[in-house]
Formats: sequence, structure tokens, C-alpha cells
Amino acid sequence: MTSLATTATAGTTLGAAPAGTRRRRRLAPYVYLAPAMLLFTLFLALPIGYALYLSFRTVKVSGLGLGKGARTEVWAGFDNYARALTDPAFVASVGRVAVYGLILVPTMLGLALLFALLLDARRTRTKGFSRVAIFLPYAVPAVIASLLWGFLYLPRVSPFYYVFDKLGWAVPDILSPGLVIFAIANIGLWGGVGFNMIVIYTALKAIPSELYEAARLDGASEVAIAWRIKIPVVTPSLILTFLFSMIATLQVFAEPMTLKPLTNTISSTWSPLMTVYRDAFTRDDIYSAAATSVVIAVATFALSFGFLRLVQRRAFAQEN
Amino acid sequence: MRLHTSLRLAAVVAATALLATACSSGGGDSDDDATGSTGEKVELTFWTWAPGMEEVVDAWNAKNPDIHVTVNKQDGGDPAVTKLLTAIKAGSGAPDVFQTEYQKIPTLVSSDALADIADVLPEGVQDHFADGTWQSVTLGGDAVYGVPQDSGPMEFYYREDIFQQYGLQVPTTWEQYAQVAEQLHTADPTKYLGTFSATDAGWFTGLTQQAGASWWGIDGDAWSVEIDSTATQKVAEYWGDLVEKGTIDNKPMYTPEWNAALNDGTQAGWVSAIWAPGVLQGNAPDTAGKWKMAPMPQWSEGDDATGNWGGSASSVTSQSKHPKEAAEFISWMNTDQEAVNILVAKGGLYPADLPGQAEALASPPEFFQNQPDFYTVAGDIAKTVQPFTYGPNVNVAYSAYNDEFGKATEAKQASAFLDAVAAMQKATVDDLKDSGFTVKD
Amino acid sequence: MTTTLVRPPATAARPGTTKDRRERPSTRATLVLLLGAVYCLLPVLWVVTASTKSAGELFTTFTLAPSSHLWENVQELSRYRGGLYWRWMANTALYAGVGALLSVLVSAMAGYGLAKYQFAGKKAIFNIILAGVLVPGVILAIPQYLLLAQVGLTNTYWSVLLPSVISPYGIYLARIYAAASVPDDVLEAARTDGAGEWRTFSRIAVPMMVPGLVTVFLFQFVAIWNNFMLPYIMLGNDRLFPITVGLSGLLNQGASQPALYTSVITGSLLSIIPLAALFLTLQRYWQVDLAAGAVKA
Repeated sequence: MTSLATTATAGTTLGAAPAGTRRRRRLAPYVYLAPAMLLFTLFLALPIGYALYLSFRTVKVSGLGLGKGARTEVWAGFDNYARALTDPAFVASVGRVAVYGLILVPTMLGLALLFALLLDARRTRTKGFSRVAIFLPYAVPAVIASLLWGFLYLPRVSPFYYVFDKLGWAVPDILSPGLVIFAIANIGLWGGVGFNMIVIYTALKAIPSELYEAARLDGASEVAIAWRIKIPVVTPSLILTFLFSMIATLQVFAEPMTLKPLTNTISSTWSPLMTVYRDAFTRDDIYSAAATSVVIAVATFALSFGFLRLVQRRAFAQEN
Repeated sequence: MRLHTSLRLAAVVAATALLATACSSGGGDSDDDATGSTGEKVELTFWTWAPGMEEVVDAWNAKNPDIHVTVNKQDGGDPAVTKLLTAIKAGSGAPDVFQTEYQKIPTLVSSDALADIADVLPEGVQDHFADGTWQSVTLGGDAVYGVPQDSGPMEFYYREDIFQQYGLQVPTTWEQYAQVAEQLHTADPTKYLGTFSATDAGWFTGLTQQAGASWWGIDGDAWSVEIDSTATQKVAEYWGDLVEKGTIDNKPMYTPEWNAALNDGTQAGWVSAIWAPGVLQGNAPDTAGKWKMAPMPQWSEGDDATGNWGGSASSVTSQSKHPKEAAEFISWMNTDQEAVNILVAKGGLYPADLPGQAEALASPPEFFQNQPDFYTVAGDIAKTVQPFTYGPNVNVAYSAYNDEFGKATEAKQASAFLDAVAAMQKATVDDLKDSGFTVKD
Repeated sequence: MTTTLVRPPATAARPGTTKDRRERPSTRATLVLLLGAVYCLLPVLWVVTASTKSAGELFTTFTLAPSSHLWENVQELSRYRGGLYWRWMANTALYAGVGALLSVLVSAMAGYGLAKYQFAGKKAIFNIILAGVLVPGVILAIPQYLLLAQVGLTNTYWSVLLPSVISPYGIYLARIYAAASVPDDVLEAARTDGAGEWRTFSRIAVPMMVPGLVTVFLFQFVAIWNNFMLPYIMLGNDRLFPITVGLSGLLNQGASQPALYTSVITGSLLSIIPLAALFLTLQRYWQVDLAAGAVKA
């Protein structure tokens, strides 16, 4: 593939490179980044900019508002933002999603870590089957997953409640006001635990086995090895997984949206993104939606930035 | 290495395929700029979600080779409206013809999404429809924003076999309805005469319409909002009582649970509209022949009123480059006997076209073979639909309905139902004012 | 963090520590793992049995009791709008396959550029790209539509493909793989031998990155396959829909029509199969090493 023959030291070789090559080399990174930057600008930066622009505008109606020219777009200043931040529905949705995150993320990561460790342990059996089985939910889109779980939740059509009924247990309706947050979190858990397990498992496999062979020879139990050696070593992966899970949690949308028509207990503003959807699509008010989106994006960014700052050294231990 | 080469090969193949499909996809815009009326082929796109549309369109295409219509099926209801409005805002991407639900027409007109076809509509179309129906496409003015297609007068559907089993009388007043509901639920606590659905705003609107409510009104240049009128409050309180007592269920309709209930008889009745046979057939095919249809219970004995749930018109969008041809198509689709026959047979619609009804509705729906005079009874009921005006922010009101009544039905408290009505009123008025409308207090 | 303890291997034959004896299987560990597997498979099992039921049976029989109407359900699904479901499947394969391919190309180049070169603005560019992960699709959908409408590209295959190609997460992964699998000295050697930048990249670096790039491809493939919001907004012509949008349409037929539950359920089952097959056959490429290089012996 390559010729590894190097006869001269780097210094003299570099000095002998022609000027054209050197310039090409200086420009190379920009060339490589060009397609990504172009697409990023077109499909991420520009839309975000446009959403930002829209967040400062609104539409005013004249007269009855029917017919041509009845609506005009005008400058709104910070009105949309003020309304978003003081809207009780939006504030409630933020609180709800925080609780949702607190329920979901530790559980999901804890289980992912547990499964990954079990996959890495020598004495576990059925590893191949279980790994594929736990990863399979990743293949199911959130909309379909929510529909499937909806069937499993609704007492009259659910096999679980059928069995509970036969056993004589009075299990509360999981879609009732107090429990519906767990119902939604469960769908997120089901869909995400497999992917996170693979991420952590990859990191575990990368650990050279000499690291704990010695500990094993000393008689340390598998649990102790997991606790003292494996987990600390995969902490960078854990941290990044935590971050990405946290971001995904703040953006929860598909699951509550799909479950909403099945029950009375999910309002149209259950999660912050649902509020955005309601404004943009139901109320035809893209201006409020844009303002709320900016608020969400800024909050997510601040949280992620703060979190990374906190754990920076451990997460990005190796940088080129 | 092998993978690398095969990746490259795959990329080349894919790119070629992509180029080919992109060139032929065409998309939803009609991009020929011919005038069309002199025999050059005109392409029209039609966004709809009702079944039976392809068959009607096929019939049209066979008769009119120079005006070709393509059906693009959308998600029912709101999502399609949103996509249309987005396309209108963007300046491109909207279809030529759109299926417009009656309650959405003011919203669409105020967003300049519909074209005024008063000038290009064939002669005499207006005479095919009842005054009330025609008004919903003109909004009381001179402009015409669509041609009515179907309507949804409401009736009461019930399981005849269960009524016989428990010795129940078919209720003719709401008071009787409450009594029958209690009788049934006491005799068998697993069964309900119906359910209050917090996810179906159109259903509740129809109920209040029957009681005489009209949630919006026009007064000169201002809108008025009367969601919290006495009529609405009466209806809300009535149902709130029933849910609180537990004689009526509080679960939403159109869920897998509700389907199961229709099948096993735990939902023994359904206050619904004329298109119910199709839904029952799709959700509970094994109960064919067990259901019967009767007029809706009335508020006073001897009254004769009903509400409307659903129904739509066909409209030409403001982005269409061929409004004349599109208008020709929609008038044919909704007034020609052959077309109306197909709409009824394949789409399960109740046509708004008065002259066409006799032939199209000659036999009862497949699911109601046990009731040969189904359409005769329905025809009489259809004449009693009460007037109702929709405003420019129906979606806001409906969304408030979902949230507020969701809370109330879950809480099972009649007082909460009245609170919900008040909250809906406030949300709707606030939204109108925020948008800059003048709202009469 | 931990230091390697260098010790002479134990020579005493302590029971259970010699390498050639097979380890006693741990029932507890296996059981816990299997429980997880069962939990994850349960809805899939449900979908399989529900697909075998006819419309009449779906709401009247015990949910996990299989029936025999799978073939009829598939036929009914195929009859919908003249076989539209299979076109949706083909569309999804197109969007996911071509989109992921293009995305890998873009990500590989960007990741390589970020990992293997030092240049002004490198940190800023990387951070900006990463910030893209924070923006949810729901917010981008309408502005993207409005922008694409300016060039008349909405409601075409391009309208779903182009926005799918840019993947900040993919670039992030590609950067990690580039850093971990392409040693600097190999590049230097190639340059010394006179190879141009592009040749160095395509002939030397990319082959070394291939396992990681396959992972990026798979990740992006699944993401596009499962994407709902973007095609939902961009497409009005239902002949261009991917499966996610198509199935949701079957569910939302409006109040006056019954939802086509059996078709949706059968369609869901059929849509899981290709991805499941992909997972099974390309298992060894599913190694998502987020923090590669952070672990050193």
C-alpha cells in the first residue's frame, strides 16, 4: 500500500518540497472541508439564521382578514421571546422534560453500561443473540415504536393488562396523569439502550486485557474488576454518551406526539418541541415557533457547553 | 480494498439512478405554462385524503384527455393544511386542487391560499346545493372559494342487538339518552352508551351546533367569538354530568381501545355523522348488520335539529396556473351524476349535490343492509342542520379544546367541563387579538 | 489512570485460573442479559403476531395469539394505491443508501481535514459543526423548506437527499477514526515519496479509515431511514414518500375514515426487516468508538 522507506530526516525533505506542493498542502484542509462547510451553511446555518430572523417578526391582520393582502409581516422586536418565556405552557413543558430526562438518562445509561459489561464478561452466555436483540430497537423509527408501545399500553388491547387481569392484579393505567411520563420514558429507553450499549461495549473492547489479567490473577472478582478498572477507563465514552442522550432528551417529540391521540393525559404542549410544533403547524404562527426554537437551542447549547466544561479533561483526553 | 472499490461502484450506480429519478420525479408543481384551453394537455395535481378519489379522477381522465389530474394522497386534516400554507408562503409547491374541510375555509382564505373561482365556474353550479352548504364556500360574500363535495349531518348509531338484550328504548331526547346510558351501565358495568372524546373537536362542535351555538360571527369588520354561549355551556355541562356519574366513558375515539370496544359491544352507541358506516366497517367488520341509525336525541321533545361533523369542499388554490380547468374539474366531480355515484360507492361520502342524491343513494350502505331506508331517514335529517360560522383561527380553538377537555374528562368533573369552555373562549379571543384582528366584545 | 502490573504468570494450578479451562457460565449474568433481550424483543414479537391477524381479529383476539392472515395483509398493503408501499420502500432505500453514501464522502473528507492538518480556524470550525448536533430537526424543517422553495427544489428527491448529507455527528466520528487509524508518519512518508494531497487521502488514508467509515455509513443510513420530519415537510407527492411518512399517512386518514391499522402494522413489520438484516450481516462494523484514542495501555 505505501512505501515506508524514509531515507532522509523530515526537516531536509520538507525543505526540498516544491513551492506548489507546499501551497497545495496549506490549502488542502480547506478543500477537504469545503463540501461539509458548504452543505452546513446551506442546510444548517442559513435555516437557523432565517429562523432567527423570523423570530423577530410577526404578522398583523387588517379588517376581517379574508382575501388578498389582508396579512402583512411586521417587525415584532422581542415580543415573541417575551411571550415564549412567560408562556405557562412552555415553562411547564420545560419542567416536565427536565423530570423526563432525570428519569430516562440515568436509567438508560445505567442499563447500557450493565449490558455492555455483561457482554464483556467472560462468563456470560448467549452474548451474540442478546447483543443483536438489544440493538434491534434502534432499527425502529420513533413514530412506529410509539405506535407499537401504544398498543401495549392501552389496557383493553394490551397483552400485559390481559395477563394482569387474569392474575387478578389491579395495575394502574400507565397512561394515567401520574404515570404517563414513565410510559413515554420507556419508549425512549427501549429505543436508545441498545445503541448506547454498543458505544460503551466498543470502548470496553478497546481496553487491552493485560490491564485486568493481573488483577484477575490476584483473585479480584469480576465485579470488582468492572468497578475498579473497566468503568473508570470507559468514562470518556460514558460522558459523551450522557451528553448526546441529554440533548436527545431535551428534543423529545415523536413519542409524546404519537401517543397523544390515544389518551387524554398528554397536552399539545407536553414537551418544548411540541410547543414549537403547535405554534408552527397548528396555529400557523411560525414567528412564535421560531422564537421558542431559538430559546430551546440556546438553552441546549448552554447546558452542553457547561457540562463539557465540567468534564473536559476526562472526555477529550487525546487530541491531535 | 475490495470494499473501497465496491463502494465506488455503488456510488456511481446510485448517482446515475438518482439523476434518472430526479429528472422524472416532476414533483407537485405543474410546470407547463401553456394556456391549456386550446387543446394542449393541462396537468393538475389534487391533494386529498378521502378514499374513492382515484376512481373519480380516473373517470375524469378518461373523458378529458387534455386535462389530466393526478391524485397526491396526504395525511388527513391538519397536516395537509399546514403543508399547503407552507407552500403558499414559499411561493411554490402547492397543488392545483385541494380538499378543503368546511371549518378550514376561513383560515385558508385569510392566508390567501384559495383562488376565487366565481368568474370561471360553469353556470348553474350553485343551484345544485342547499343555501347553508353554499354559504360555507362563499363566506357570505360574492367570491366563491370552492365547490361543496360532501357533508356530515350527525345521527345516533346504536347496537340494536344490545338494546334488545337489555330492553332499552331508543332515546329521542337528551334526557332520555342520559337515562338509557344509566340503565345500560347499571345493567352491565363494562358497557357504555358512548364516550366523550376530548380528541375530536369537530364532534363536540357539531353537538353545540345542534343546540344553537355558533362559535364565531361576523359583525361588519370585526369578528366575534361566542364559544362560551349558553348553548355550548348547556352541552358541556350535560356531558360533564354524564362523565362524572360514570355512565358515559371518558376515553378518546379512534384509538385501538375504542376499536376494540366497538367490536365487543362495550361501546354500544356512537353519536356520529353520516359517514359512520365506513368507519364501523373498517374498525368492526364483524358487527355488520347489528347497528342501526336514528336521529340524534333532541333538547326538547319534538324538536328537529342536528349538527354537522366533517364534510369538505374542493377548492382551487391561489398558486394554480390553470384555475379555469381546475374549476371545470371540481364542478364535474361534485355535480355530475356519474362522479357523485363513484364518490358514494367508493368513498362512502354523503354528497352535498342535491339532484344527484336520489340515484347515488338508492341503496343503503353495505354495512347497514339491515336498514333499507337508511338514506331516506338521513336525507330528512340532513335538512335540519343548524347554521354555524367558522372563524379564521379554528385550529387554535380546536387545539384548546383538546388540551382543556382532555384535563376535564380525565378529572371526570362536570365543573371542569365548564371551566374548559371558558378557557377555550379565552384562548381563541386572545389569539385573534394577538394577530391583529378586531374582536367584538 | 491505572498502571500495568507486570508480574510473572502464576504457575501454581489454582482452580479456575488456568487459561485453557472453559469458564463456568454465570447464570445470573446470562439471565440479566436475556431479560434485556426479551424486553427489547417484546414489541417486535407483538408486531409479528399482529401482522398475522385480519382486521376483524386485530381488536377481538388476545394480542399475542398468532393467526394466519399475514400473506393476505401483505397483499392488502400492496394493493393500496397500486403498490405504493413498495415504492415507499424503494424510496427509503434510495434516500438512505445514496444519502448515507454521499454523507460518508463528505464526512470522511471533513474528518480527515480536521484530524490531519493544522490550520487557522480549525477549532472554531469543529465547534461550529458540532453545534449543529444541538439543533433539532423540527426547527429546521420549515426554514429549510422555505429556502429550497426559492430554487424550486421542494417536492423532489433532492429536497430530502441534500439536507440529509450533512451530518455533524458523522463528521465527529470520522474525525475520531481519522485520528485513530491514520498514523501521521505514514502520511509523511507518502508525501516524501511525492504523492499529492488527494492521492494521499484517497489511496492511503481512506483504506485505513474504511472500517470506521462503514460505521459512519451505517449510522447515517439508519438515521435517514428513520427520519420523519424532513420528508414530511418537503414532500407533497406521496409517490416520493419514505416509509415513515407513508405509514403515518395510513394512520391519519381523517375522522371520517377508519385508520388502516392492519396495513400500518404489516407495513411496520416489513420495514424493520431490511434494517434488521443489515444489522445482522454487518455486525462487526457496529463499533462506535466515541472516545477512540482516549484509552492507552
